[in-house]
Amino acid sequence: MDSLEEFIAHAVALEEDSAVRFDDMADSLDVHQNHEVTDLFRKMAHYSRLHLAEAQKLAEGMTLPHIKPWEYKWPDKEPPETPGMDATHYLMTPHHALVMALDSEKRGHDFYAALAATHENPRIRELAQEFAEEEAEHVALLQAMLLRYPAPPPDWDEDMDPPVSVD
Amino acid sequence: MDAVVAKPQDYKSDLKPIWCPGCGDFSVLAAITRGLAELNLPPKDVALVSGIGCSSRLPAYSTLYGFHSVHGRALPVASGLKLARPDLTVLSVGGDGDGFSIGGNHFVHACRRNVDLTYIVMDNSVYGMTKGQASPTTQADWTGSKLTPEGPGVAPFRPLEMALSSGATFISRAFSGDPMELTRQVCAAVQHKGFSFVHVLSPCVTYRPEQKGWRELVHGDFTEPYTDRRDAFLRLLDDDGFTTGILYQGAAAPFQPMPRATQSVADLGDQFVI
Repeated sequence: MDSLEEFIAHAVALEEDSAVRFDDMADSLDVHQNHEVTDLFRKMAHYSRLHLAEAQKLAEGMTLPHIKPWEYKWPDKEPPETPGMDATHYLMTPHHALVMALDSEKRGHDFYAALAATHENPRIRELAQEFAEEEAEHVALLQAMLLRYPAPPPDWDEDMDPPVSVD
Repeated sequence: MDAVVAKPQDYKSDLKPIWCPGCGDFSVLAAITRGLAELNLPPKDVALVSGIGCSSRLPAYSTLYGFHSVHGRALPVASGLKLARPDLTVLSVGGDGDGFSIGGNHFVHACRRNVDLTYIVMDNSVYGMTKGQASPTTQADWTGSKLTPEGPGVAPFRPLEMALSSGATFISRAFSGDPMELTRQVCAAVQHKGFSFVHVLSPCVTYRPEQKGWRELVHGDFTEPYTDRRDAFLRLLDDDGFTTGILYQGAAAPFQPMPRATQSVADLGDQFVI
């Protein structure tokens, strides 16, 4: 990541992708009538969009580079705050959804914290530090929420009348 | 559509997918919409043709022209569409049962014919829509279905080898858990002139939950596409089925129909003896 513009482009893509994925997961759970988790995912998408707006505001007056989806410099295969679609389950509980969101925020924090610690550009370091602190706040918030939603019993995914079963 | 205006959401319809939560096909839908946005193709210029199966629902979830066709017959429909409307970008999608069993014959001949279209197969080695039977790519010893309690007992179909043998000019493999690489391959396949085949390992979390472990097995070792079929064949001899990347890209000219004078529907009707 060489320039401030490239850094902001990453911040925008990170929040945008996260919002879209949380919405996709909300749609998926909505189809299966899991309304509690649907609402939680919608909220996560909403928060991602609020942060997206902040990142876009930072970009005002700049021309952000166009980066192909596969050419972003993420630490892993997807933007760090994008939750994994494969971790969803039609019977998942708010606890699982919050754990997913928490993991996303932790990855977001680690991404920015690493840039804040190592980048050569002082303005990028400063902004990355600011974003890392925001992500740390989100982590703390989600950890507090998780206290209200303890882990379900181990048989949480047992369904005596599953929507699909092997013939 | 101007440059950088297209967004992946422009290609998504308002219908919510009814796939099982966690299904790999969500990522394929996302990669297709992301790829088309990257290529800045207006939805009105793209058609998506499918067969039958879970993954074949995909056209309904897009704003593209869609054709949810007959089981195994997505490729003939897509080929006909492309030949009649060469101005359209044509994509065909489906699953391993639809593409390699019911439509296996069409797959072979579509590769051979080399019409300029892209075929994306979401392979989960199971018939998911009909509740979990062994498909052409299921391992011989898979005992998960009551229909084949001792396993299908047949060696799995090898889609990449078959595509290469049959004459496909673009062959790649991706994993739904690596959506950015999948997007890259979708873009490259659509831009390729000729028949492009993208084989996607797309786990079925309901009938093959063990496929969640594919994440640990895939490795992106098709680093640069071969342009010589012999090299590609040799590489495939060492393939474990989990290698991702673009394997082969040839330069054979795509099929073009013989130029003919324009005919009206009435002229065509006159050619049939009743």
